[in-house]
Amino acid sequence: MALEAVGLEQNYGTQRVLRGLTFSVRAGEIYALLGGNGAGKSTTLNLFLGLARPTAGSARVCDVEVGSDPAAARARIAYVPENVALYEHLTARENIDYLLTLARADTAGALIEEALDAVGLVREAWDRRLGGYSKGMRQKVAIALAIARRVPVLLLDEPTAGLDPRATADFHRLLETARIRGVATLMVTHDLLGAAEVADRIGFLAEGRIEAELIAEGTERFDVRALHQRYLQAGAAA
Amino acid sequence: MNRFRYELRLLLRSRVAAAALTLLLVLSAVAVGAGLSASARQTALIDRVATAQARDFAAATTQYGKPDGEAGYAAYYTFHLTSDRPSSLAFAAMGQRDIQPYVLRVRLLGLQAQLYETETVNPELALPGPFDFAFVLIYLAPLAVIVLMHDLVSGEREAGRLRLLSALPVTPGQLWLRRAGVRLMLVLLALLGPFLVGALVAKAPIWGVAILSLVAILYVAFWAGLGLMVGAWGRRSAFNAATLVGCWIVLVLLVPALANAALSRAIPVGRGVDLTLAQREAVHHAWDVPREAVMAPFVAKHPEWKDKARVGGGFHWKWYYAMHEMGDDGVAGQVAAYRASLAARQAWTERLGWLSPAAAAQSLVHRVADSDLQAHLAYQDNVTAFHRHLQDFYYPYLFSERPFTRKDFARAPVYAPRGSSSSTPVVPLLALLVLSLSAWAGGVVGARRTVS
Repeated sequence: MALEAVGLEQNYGTQRVLRGLTFSVRAGEIYALLGGNGAGKSTTLNLFLGLARPTAGSARVCDVEVGSDPAAARARIAYVPENVALYEHLTARENIDYLLTLARADTAGALIEEALDAVGLVREAWDRRLGGYSKGMRQKVAIALAIARRVPVLLLDEPTAGLDPRATADFHRLLETARIRGVATLMVTHDLLGAAEVADRIGFLAEGRIEAELIAEGTERFDVRALHQRYLQAGAAA
Repeated sequence: MNRFRYELRLLLRSRVAAAALTLLLVLSAVAVGAGLSASARQTALIDRVATAQARDFAAATTQYGKPDGEAGYAAYYTFHLTSDRPSSLAFAAMGQRDIQPYVLRVRLLGLQAQLYETETVNPELALPGPFDFAFVLIYLAPLAVIVLMHDLVSGEREAGRLRLLSALPVTPGQLWLRRAGVRLMLVLLALLGPFLVGALVAKAPIWGVAILSLVAILYVAFWAGLGLMVGAWGRRSAFNAATLVGCWIVLVLLVPALANAALSRAIPVGRGVDLTLAQREAVHHAWDVPREAVMAPFVAKHPEWKDKARVGGGFHWKWYYAMHEMGDDGVAGQVAAYRASLAARQAWTERLGWLSPAAAAQSLVHRVADSDLQAHLAYQDNVTAFHRHLQDFYYPYLFSERPFTRKDFARAPVYAPRGSSSSTPVVPLLALLVLSLSAWAGGVVGARRTVS
């Protein structure tokens, strides 16, 4: 398994955020984790990134126990935050080069260009400072960074929040490309439409555990109306 | 190298950081220039006095170096030059050289009345000390470090990048330590660059330069470590800056000032001028007592003149100079107590380094530059030894009542400058090392715990 949560529990004081969360994501699969505010989506991402230690249970990334070796787990994960903030004074190319250097990844120029090309960022923008970039363009740079790192797991936090429909469509195409490359993607989102369009499986997170899980069968996609109903039920349960 | 280039670019993009580094570089350069200039002024003054002294000595030779010349007159009117040239590292830390005399013209008269003759210094102007490299290092460099370090982590958090950085496969400790290291290195470059140029110009000894550089590195490292520790707390940049400035006020200003006040009360030290007055009073008193009261202890001290120490009822130079020497001996206890108090204060000041890195650095730089109180006392010791040579030279003429001629002037002792008393005191160096390592240990622990 590329990503595996087994009986994850997370308490903050008396507040129980995760209560035995169990799910997994295979290589080449897109898993959408849906849930209302405070359902534990961000906590789940933090546990996979090793930014917090679970109260109980385990999070594994490509069979690496995150708690025992968070750096090794992070070496296999590319993370795209909800609000992409990069270095405004550097260009897109430089941002990726610098962050790849920090991540001790290959910083070959061709690799960076290939990634920027793959996310569809116009060439003229590659050597412009990020100060003048739109949110969608920044998102593309962050995803280009993820692609350039050539890691097996992609974690996305509300990836389409604030993107216009065209940018969202571009983004979904990128996820398809990643899936073809065998990348396991976990996206936490409120975007039912987006999840229905690209996800292979959708988990509904409520009360700190997967309340329900839907699987796309063959070429059949999800029924958005049914998804919405399920989402509301999960929210009501929470 | 690639990473270093990026870290440098990102840091220097911050106008405040770039301004702080530029200002530190300029201030360091100005301070080194001012130190070299002050050092050159003192040397030039010593040379000018030496020229004037040669004229004065020649005039005394002409006037008192006659075939039937009296040694008493010659010794009374002839001044002998002593001077204490600045060490080649004094440009970096002038220490007490701006308030203590470095040129003294002494005669055969009582020494204690001559040692503390100096120009009056405005104490308010002397209080902040000279603007030299030591001032920039101890007072200003920590402020530059604070500017560069206070937002090391919080700046990334406030810009929204911390979560992305934390998700990279690099441990927080490595990430922040490297960034702190780059900042530390830039501060040291801005600080030590001008100092090293100054050391080349002044032809300073390599060992001294190395020790002074080590002190600067440890002191700046302490502040960088403290900056890393505070910066990793997870508070806002403004809070971090306020905390670090508070630390600066306490460690650089308050602790040394309070400790100085406490030391002044605990170890009272008289003034040098009090010794002058006491010696003069002893000499004046000697005029009013029977001559035997002066000559008996003198003969006991100098049995070689036992048979030639008789003086009649009128004035005699033998009696006069014996009065002066006995005046010096009369205050010997006070002199010893005065110096013991100074030594005790010095020892406590060095121990103060365990509480304040500024105090430790200050003790070290002035000791290495040979410009502190200890250096001045070494100069006084050398003048005292020279004064004994003068006694050994003049007394045979005085007590044997031999004429003092022009040729005898030429045989008068010439002051040999003291050797360097520079040293590296272990206590403050150890204190500075321990404080720096502790600050970095705290910084490393804090940085490792940094999360988004």
